[in-house]
Order: sequence, then structure tokens, then C-alpha cells
Amino acid sequence: MTDDLDLARMRRDRHRKVVDALDAQGLAAAVLLGQPAVAYAVGARAPAADAARAAQQRMIAIVTADGDAPHLYTAFPEGAPPELPADHVHEALPMEWPEGATALLGALPDGPIALDEYTMPLHAAMHGREITDATAILGPCKVVKTADERECIRRAQAINEQAMLTVQAFVAPGVRGTELSGVFLRRIFELGASANTVDPIWQVMPPRIADGPYSATGDVVFPTPTTDRQFAAGDVIWVDTGIDYEGYASDFGCTFVVGGPESRHRDQAARWREIVDRCLDVLKPGATAGDLVRAASADEVGRPWLPHLYLAHGIGTNSAEMPLVGTDLGDEFDDALVLAPGMVLVFEPVVWDDGNAGFRAEEILAVTDDGYEHLSARDGGPRG
Amino acid sequence: MAEGLTRALDEMARQDVDVLVLGREGNARFVSGATRLWLAGTRPFAPGCVVVRETGAVHLMSATDFGVPAEVPRARLYPMSWNPVNVMGAVAAIAGVSSARRIGVDGLTPLFEQLFTATFPGAHLADGEAVMRAARRVKSAREIESIRAAISVAEDAFAVTAEALRPGVRELELKGVFEERMCRSGTTTPAFEGAFCVVDDEPVRRLASDRVIVDGDLVAMSAGVLLDGWEGSLARTRRCGAQTTEDRDRRSRWAAQWTPLVDRCRAGARVGDLRVSAGASIHGVGLGAEALEDSAALEPGMVVQLELEANGVLGADTLLVGDDGAEVLTAFPYAAGGD
Repeated sequence: MTDDLDLARMRRDRHRKVVDALDAQGLAAAVLLGQPAVAYAVGARAPAADAARAAQQRMIAIVTADGDAPHLYTAFPEGAPPELPADHVHEALPMEWPEGATALLGALPDGPIALDEYTMPLHAAMHGREITDATAILGPCKVVKTADERECIRRAQAINEQAMLTVQAFVAPGVRGTELSGVFLRRIFELGASANTVDPIWQVMPPRIADGPYSATGDVVFPTPTTDRQFAAGDVIWVDTGIDYEGYASDFGCTFVVGGPESRHRDQAARWREIVDRCLDVLKPGATAGDLVRAASADEVGRPWLPHLYLAHGIGTNSAEMPLVGTDLGDEFDDALVLAPGMVLVFEPVVWDDGNAGFRAEEILAVTDDGYEHLSARDGGPRG
Repeated sequence: MAEGLTRALDEMARQDVDVLVLGREGNARFVSGATRLWLAGTRPFAPGCVVVRETGAVHLMSATDFGVPAEVPRARLYPMSWNPVNVMGAVAAIAGVSSARRIGVDGLTPLFEQLFTATFPGAHLADGEAVMRAARRVKSAREIESIRAAISVAEDAFAVTAEALRPGVRELELKGVFEERMCRSGTTTPAFEGAFCVVDDEPVRRLASDRVIVDGDLVAMSAGVLLDGWEGSLARTRRCGAQTTEDRDRRSRWAAQWTPLVDRCRAGARVGDLRVSAGASIHGVGLGAEALEDSAALEPGMVVQLELEANGVLGADTLLVGDDGAEVLTAFPYAAGGD
């Protein structure tokens, strides 16, 4: 564990990786419109916003293969990293209109371009240019985290965990999820979070899946948006929250039992612990996602996680990114995904006893040279 | 049929689009009325919602009908998948999609562009965002009521935040004060990360820092909420501590630019002309922020956010455009004490 965090070094390391990847693929530049991609390649920040507003005021990055400093187009120059030369920080280009798209096109070097996403005016403007998918460039860069990146995730998660201790004291019959959100949001900013990135989830789980809400697949329905429904004694609440610290996401999951857990809740949590511990037994460089899937599923009836989600996912400037483990991409995908030092995994298996609801939590691990280290606290079982 | 869907179908007919495949959540919400999980930030395009002109039906990517109105029956929910090929397969299986000549999309990725071309080789990809923008632009009476309700939540939270503007508070703590109060009104989704920034230079910063606010600081405050998806937001500039004569001067100089600007926000005004004023910006307000092109003319029933940053004062109000001028929907006082 290190308290060392050097943001300028982190940005330099990430930029170098992207430049090397462009060079290796013979690409002239990466043009990035997705805000997590800009956050990664440049280290710039814009205010967190609803998707519509975020799209309209999006930052854009151009990373060139010559290794020169990236170019940033932004309405929020104060969010640009301090070392970025002033002549590399430009006014925002509105990608919702042809004028902005044409201006962006005019700023690109000749040659093949990697691009992550189009607005429709940009799609029209790029017609005839040789375009490849920038996720193929960024993905391999992002998947292995430097020590600075891991420290950002650790700090994001620590803020989230600490805020949840404050929230926990408010969980009681008659309280509403919306009130818990208020306590949580107040606290994360006091603790230094840059932003909140997902509407905090406090979902009251039904005892049986058949009790609803309706499930199209027959599986547990999760997550659903927070409502002002009042909690009742004995309610089992699945919590899922995420904040941003220096561009990096936290991902916190736990289970509250209103009025306090009983033995069946502790038993479920113990089974969850066993699933994660079986995964940790095999978690090291060279292991595959398939190995984790098999470890988690051993001794279980079926696969103990939500089938439309995953057993585990990566985390970084996106709250869920590669490596994805146990998705519907299938066994071949999992077996081909080999873990390497610096990869970060958020484990989120689920224990479900139809009739008695279930237990869900999340735990974040980084793969080290010879095993793993925790970036989150080790889950301590049901709360409340 | 939901009124949003009717307007989208009309606009599809006008722009000759057979099928809309929507990735932007505001667009999906407009046609379906569905509440799905709110996430901050941009998302790459993925087919989250499909509208078929021939059948008039909306289809949603969802594993549950929680938050989905009855107008979208369970049979019109299609499953999520991490495999984009499966997602496109589910879209192609929707009645009326495979025969479409023109498919409107509100964004693309290189991968989905390939998949569309491979799945619908005869179809042309049209600008679905242009369709949705036109359908959403002029608000119905019910939508205006929804925006008014959102503004009232935002103004309540803004008032509490203005109260908390005391020496010793850090800028970023004010974000938490605003959002906590918003949650007490029953909505947990901000329109954007609030800006609570001490004014030193222009342009005014929009990213609150951990700077401690001291007595005498002038603070630009900009914040908003989404209530049932509808945006209510505003901006004001307040002094921490006692007001000074200079404040009144600043504000009257600001108002000297602001008042004529508001006066020009009437039917027929060209958006680009309003933007020409130094420090002025304008965008549409509805299910979140809505983009307005320079060439657009204001129409009765449009709701816009007008913002002016001048003389170290940031102010923004939400306006309902009418034939004979605009109604200012935000009522929060410009200065402490109700000025």
C-alpha cells in the first residue's frame, strides 16, 4: 500500500501508452469524444452532468502518434491539466452541429484515425476518412493500471466507504431511499469527491423473484432507480453507488437489513464470502477469467451472479470496463482473457435464496506480481 | 399514446425516417416515458430504444418493466447483452425494422456502424437526433408544468445553498448542500454538477474546488435538478457576507445587458443573434439540456435557459417563449434580501 500519488506522472504514463499504441497500429491520431476516454488520455475534467448536457458540452481530445502533447477542446479550461501547453487547450467544438464537426476534421493530421464515437454531424463530416475503432487502442492501455491509477481508485473507494458509514446510521424503518441519497451526496463532497456518477441505488429486494418487479428473464431484477418508498423493518436493501475522484470511479456495493441482520442474512453473507475467497485463491497473473468463473461456480447451483451483468468487472475512468468476467460474451471469451499485474477487478457475486431474498456486495482487487491486493475494504457482511 | 411518441412519429413522417434507434437516454425517455437508472456523463451509442413508424410502437432494452409505463407492454422489451451482435439481432427481430429504408440513429460508434451496415444492407442511416430535436423542441402544457415543478425543487435547494454560503465553507461542500436538499424534495438526480466558485477572474470557473470561501468573496452559483427527468436550473452570483455598494453597481451593470437580452427572447428571434452578445449563452430546456442551433428561430412554447456572464456576475434563468416576449419561470432573487 502506498500513499504516493503523482497526478502529472499518471497523466504522462497514460499518454505515453496511447501514443505507443497508435504508433504500433500505424495510426496518425486518436480522436476521443467519450468523456471517460478524454479523462484517460488527457486527464482533463468537465463538470459531471446528465447525459444530454454532457454530450452537448463534451470535451474532445486529439492524441497524435508523434508523441506531442494532446490537444484538448473544452468549455472548461480550468479542468485542463496544468502541464498542458496553453496552445493545446482550445475552445469547445460543438459536435451536435456540422460546423463543429468540420472544424474538428480540419484539426486532424493526415492518415488513418482511431475514433471512439460519432455524433451524426461528425459521422457525415468523416465520410471518406479511414477510421478505426479507438476502443481497440484505448482498451489495452486502460486495462492495466499504473500504481497512480490504482491509488486513485483506492482513494475514490475510501471516500465512498467512509460516506457509507455515515449513511448506515440513518437506515431505519420509515426512512426513504431518497433520504439516504441526500446523506450520501452531502458526505461524499465533504470528503473530497469530484463528482457523483450514478444515482445512488437503495433497492428493497423482494423475498421471491416472483414478488416482482417483473423479470423478463426470470432472474433477480437489479438495479432499479431509487424511489421515495419508505423502508420497513426486515427489508433487505441492496446498495450500489459510485463516485469520481481525479477521474477514477469507485464502485461500492453492500447489503443493509433494516432493523439489523438475522442469522439467515449472516449465512447468506458467509456464502458470498466463500465465493469471493474461492476467486481470490486463484487470482494471480496468468489465471484466466474462465478460472475465476469456475472458482466462483464450484459447489454452487448455477452461476452465483446476475446473468445480465458479470461476476467481476474492471474499473478505471469508466465505472465498468475491461476485464469483464462471466458475461454473456461466453466461456471462450473468459478463457482467452488472461490476467496480468495491474489489472483491477470488482467482484460482485450474488447469493440468492428465493423466499429469503439474498446478499450482494462488491470487493475491489488489483492483480499484483504474485497475487492480489485489496483496493476496497474486505466486505464485513450484512449491515444495519 | 404518450404525447412524446405522437410528436416523434409525426417528425419521423416529416423527415422520412422509418425506424428510430436511440441511444440517448433523454430521447428514449421522451418517446417511452420510461425511468431508467441515471448515470452522469456521455455514453457511447448503443440501441437502448427503438421506434417503428409503421406500427407506432416503442421498444425498450430492459429486463424489467419497473419504471416503464403501461404503454410499452412487456412484449416490447428486448434483452440487454454484452455482445453487440446479439443486441443488433434483437433490434432486427422487432416487427417493422428489417424492412426499413431509412433508419434514424442519434449517434454511432465505429462498431455499431459496421453492424448496422451488415444487418440492414439496404437501409440508409439518417440523423435521428435531428428528428428527436425537432420533436422535443416545442413544449406541451404538461411538459411546461413538469419544468415548473423541477424549477421549484431547484430553487428550494438553491435557497438552502445560498444560506450555507458562509465564511469557512469550501466550494465543493456547497455541491453537497444543494444535492442533499434536492433529495429531501424526493429527487436524487442533479441536472449537472453544481458550480459554486469564487469569482476572481473571468471567465468564471465552473468546477468547484476545495477552496475555503472567506468573508467578502463573490461566489458564482449554478445548479439544477432533474425531476422525473425534467430540468429545473438557475444561476446567481452572491457575496459571502454583507453586500457592498459595489455589488449593486456590478448587478446593475449586469442587468443593463440582461434586461434587453431577455426582451429579445421572443418568437422569431434567431438563436445565433442572441449568442452574439458577449457572455451570453442559450440552450433548450426539457428532459435535460437540449441543443439549439444558431439558425433556429425561437417559437412560442419553447423553453430556454438564458445565461449571462458579465462584470463578474453570472446569472441564468429559464424562460418560456411566447409571441409577445418570454415568461421568466425562475423566480429566485438576484440578491440576498430579495432584490
